[in-house]
Amino acid sequence: MYIPRSILMLLVIIYLLFLLTVDWINAADELWYRPFVVAFIVVLVARWAHRDQETDEPE
Amino acid sequence: MNFELPTLVALGSIYLSLLFGIAYITERGWIPQRVVRHPIVYVLSLGVFASIWAYYGVVGSAQREGYGYLANSIGISLAFMLSPLLLRPLLELTRTYQLSSLADLLAFRYRSPWVGTVTTLVILVGVTPLIALQIRAVADTADILSPAASHGSIAVGFCVLITLFAILFGTSRRPGRTQHDGLMMAIAFESLIKLFAFLVVGGFAIFGGFGGFDEMQHWLLSQPDLLGSLEDTNYFSSFHVMALLFFSAAVAMPHMFYVTFNGNAGRGALSFASWGLPLYFLLMSLPVLPILWAGIHGGSTVPVEYFPVAIGVAFDRPGISLLAYLGGLSAASGLIIVITLALSNMCLNHLILPIQQPSASKDIYRWLMQRRRVLITALIWAGFAFHYLPSDKISIQLMGTVAFAAGLQFLPGIVAILYWPQANKRGFFVGLASGVGIWFPLFMLPLLSETYSFSDIVINWRETAALSLIINCLAFIFGSLYFGSSDEERSSADLCTLDTIKRRKRSGLVAKSAGDFIKSLSKPLGERTATREVGQALKDLGLKKDDRRPYAMRLLRGRLEANLSGLLGPSIAREIIDSYLPYSIVSQHGSSDVTVIENRIEAYRSNLSGMAADLDNLRRYHRQILLDLPLGVCSLSSDREIIMWNRALEEFTEINSADVVGSQLSDLPEPWLTLLEDFIGEDIDHSYKQSFELAAAKRTVNLHKALIEESGETGSNEGLIILMEDMTETEILEAGLTHSERLASIGRLAAGVAHEIGNPITGIACLAQIIRDEYKDSELTGLAQQIIEQTDRTSKILQSLVNFAHAGTNKLMHENERVLISECIAQAQTLVSLDKKNKELQLEIDCDAEAAILGDSQRLLQVLINLINNARDASQAGGTIVLAAKSMGSHIHISVTDFGVGIPNAIKSRVFDPFFTTKEAGEGTGLGLSLVFSIVEDLNGNIDIISPFDRTRGTGTQVLLKFPCYDPQPAETSA
Repeated sequence: MYIPRSILMLLVIIYLLFLLTVDWINAADELWYRPFVVAFIVVLVARWAHRDQETDEPE
Repeated sequence: MNFELPTLVALGSIYLSLLFGIAYITERGWIPQRVVRHPIVYVLSLGVFASIWAYYGVVGSAQREGYGYLANSIGISLAFMLSPLLLRPLLELTRTYQLSSLADLLAFRYRSPWVGTVTTLVILVGVTPLIALQIRAVADTADILSPAASHGSIAVGFCVLITLFAILFGTSRRPGRTQHDGLMMAIAFESLIKLFAFLVVGGFAIFGGFGGFDEMQHWLLSQPDLLGSLEDTNYFSSFHVMALLFFSAAVAMPHMFYVTFNGNAGRGALSFASWGLPLYFLLMSLPVLPILWAGIHGGSTVPVEYFPVAIGVAFDRPGISLLAYLGGLSAASGLIIVITLALSNMCLNHLILPIQQPSASKDIYRWLMQRRRVLITALIWAGFAFHYLPSDKISIQLMGTVAFAAGLQFLPGIVAILYWPQANKRGFFVGLASGVGIWFPLFMLPLLSETYSFSDIVINWRETAALSLIINCLAFIFGSLYFGSSDEERSSADLCTLDTIKRRKRSGLVAKSAGDFIKSLSKPLGERTATREVGQALKDLGLKKDDRRPYAMRLLRGRLEANLSGLLGPSIAREIIDSYLPYSIVSQHGSSDVTVIENRIEAYRSNLSGMAADLDNLRRYHRQILLDLPLGVCSLSSDREIIMWNRALEEFTEINSADVVGSQLSDLPEPWLTLLEDFIGEDIDHSYKQSFELAAAKRTVNLHKALIEESGETGSNEGLIILMEDMTETEILEAGLTHSERLASIGRLAAGVAHEIGNPITGIACLAQIIRDEYKDSELTGLAQQIIEQTDRTSKILQSLVNFAHAGTNKLMHENERVLISECIAQAQTLVSLDKKNKELQLEIDCDAEAAILGDSQRLLQVLINLINNARDASQAGGTIVLAAKSMGSHIHISVTDFGVGIPNAIKSRVFDPFFTTKEAGEGTGLGLSLVFSIVEDLNGNIDIISPFDRTRGTGTQVLLKFPCYDPQPAETSA
């Protein structure tokens, strides 16, 4: 099975980010948008991870 | 705040007409392709996934599960973020084999039409609640805005409009191959409207509902229950199951499969969507909580799911309500159109075509289109009928979950396509039956029956979904292991599995040309369709119609199967292809399609890492060695198919590798066919100096061959490798050297003969002098004088011969002296006149009498004779050669000019190369001009060739020698 390294790193980053931020996200206060900040970071990391994946796609 | 029903109908009609217009202008090409095919359009069209469930359903989900409502966005986002693991390989498969639905994909992998049929039936039943909930939500929200309107009439009106739109655009072009650009643009526009509406409603919720962000935060702190629901989000139970449901929906739900794999605009689109779609869902998720809170704050009494529409009513903002309604309409119409198009394809390919197929005399495309339109209509109205069945108590969220849980049952079968070659159709059936066996009674029946509700079931629906998946997986694994795979299944597993690049069997086809293909396919498809499909397949592959290579024919067969699969489904396509384009010979084990394997490795190259990448580099290195080897290499399979034809062989034979690889040896042109076949037939491994004629020239090769043995199996024959060594130049060099040796011998002989003849000639001269001096008879003395003159002439000729023969034998012996050019030219004239070839030659001499250089007269003589002989060879019989010597300042210019054919530009730079000759082998040594060049340099001169000399006619050659003028002072000094 051939998994690009950047995708493996993306998986690891998502997992670690989830573990590190779950308590912070769940802290009930007025900052209800915290999960979206984390999600936005994940989207940025995904953008980075897929930067060189286009060449493998079929036409 | 109430709206009139006609207002809502007009809004819906105008909106759907706008979609119609967008699709229409896209189909007409009025929108630039760079816009239509932009990855953003692909991302937005994937937004079709955010249907009513994600538009209205999530608000209810947020109230019940806190942040758990994000599970759907996270599930679908993960599927795209990790696209290299699942979506990208599947995209390649669906593209290669033209698989337009999940049923096509599963039927292709598990090699059973029944797999396609069962998949279609389960999905048909499973997604009907999803269609129904879209209709119900549109009718419900219309009810909120226009309570006087009849729920049923709104639903009917909506279904009529959607049916028309789906038929008009979904089946307006030839099925199976079109990208549905217009539809994709319309769906992208819908997603944009949906996102815009949701963000505006969310913004209104904050600023209109609460008066600002700070006010909302302040209100939120006074709602401990709401904050508590966020705090209590359980990420490790229901969240996971929901995320998994939506992860699998990326492939298993027909509308997502349709857009992901059929709407993909090309290279880079999926990578763009891998972060673009998560961003889209992030934006869609942002307004959910503010909308929920604003609805609660505004005291809305409608079900929570419809808060996006209700907050406009609650805060008396009709525009916001209409915009929210439009967003919901957009979400519902987008999903219904795409899902019914996808389902109609599946039903046609897997339910109708296996029973009824069009006759060859009918227009197959029209026949398919008519049935597809009927199916689209039937599916939408089935959804309409179904939306009456569930109780009003059942939320739209739960209806959606039932549909997504049906899709979840296909996840094991889908993952096994890429990652488990041992999976087979029996295992798939057992697994699916187990999963559906749990899903139907515990999900579907409660939806249909008032008396059998979810609350009656001990375990909750999330646990049920997880249980059905686990049992499905276990049954699938044990079923597959227990029953084992057929050869056909193993073959298709080879095509699909990522982990292995196994060998494909290579076989010969009965049809030998594109014409044969058309003839064979005309029986099931009709001549018009067969011609069109074969033409399209040839175009797809970039093959010529007259290509007859077996490799090309196999590619054509595969492409035809893929194209027909897109048209008729994989099962029917395979049946037609197997029946009408059968293989003639199934090659033995070990015979493999190396080209296919190499292409596959190349396609995955950038994904290789570690040892796999090292091995690939090693493979490429070894292959490159063979390709760049300065010997011709041709490898043949055991059935004499040409596998490799390297560059040296391309140059030598002037046959391109692309034209010959994949051909049978017997397809080679002469003389190569006879040469190679004879050599292969002989019981020897090496054959030296095989001569043959090529383009009227003699060519010589050495041939070597060796059997290719399968690794680890001595004596097995997997093919043959042949090395071809071009010996033509070596042969010419050897002939030239032999000729030189012979000439040298003749020269030595001539010198010896001249020496021997010199003595009697001297005797004759002496006797003639005696006669002249002793006798007084004038007649006798006159004759004696003539004898003396003739013997003098003979002596000079002999002396010249001896001198010429000795010239160049020892460089150190040459003495520089004043050489009078006119004497040297006269001597050259004498010598060349002795050659009978020069009898007809016209030598014109134009020489300054006093022109002289410092040098060796014999070596200059040798130069002149060589140049005159070359000029003679280039001239016509009886042609004129001009020898001129002129003083030009401090230099003497000596020129030898002929009016022959001239020297081709291509060889001008090589004429002074040793052994280069344009003469036939044995006639020229190729050393003449090389020797001339060397002597002229020794004499401090230089040489130029002007060809063509006559530029207007493009003929003639002038060899121009330039030497320093004789200067007595330095000569004496040096002496």
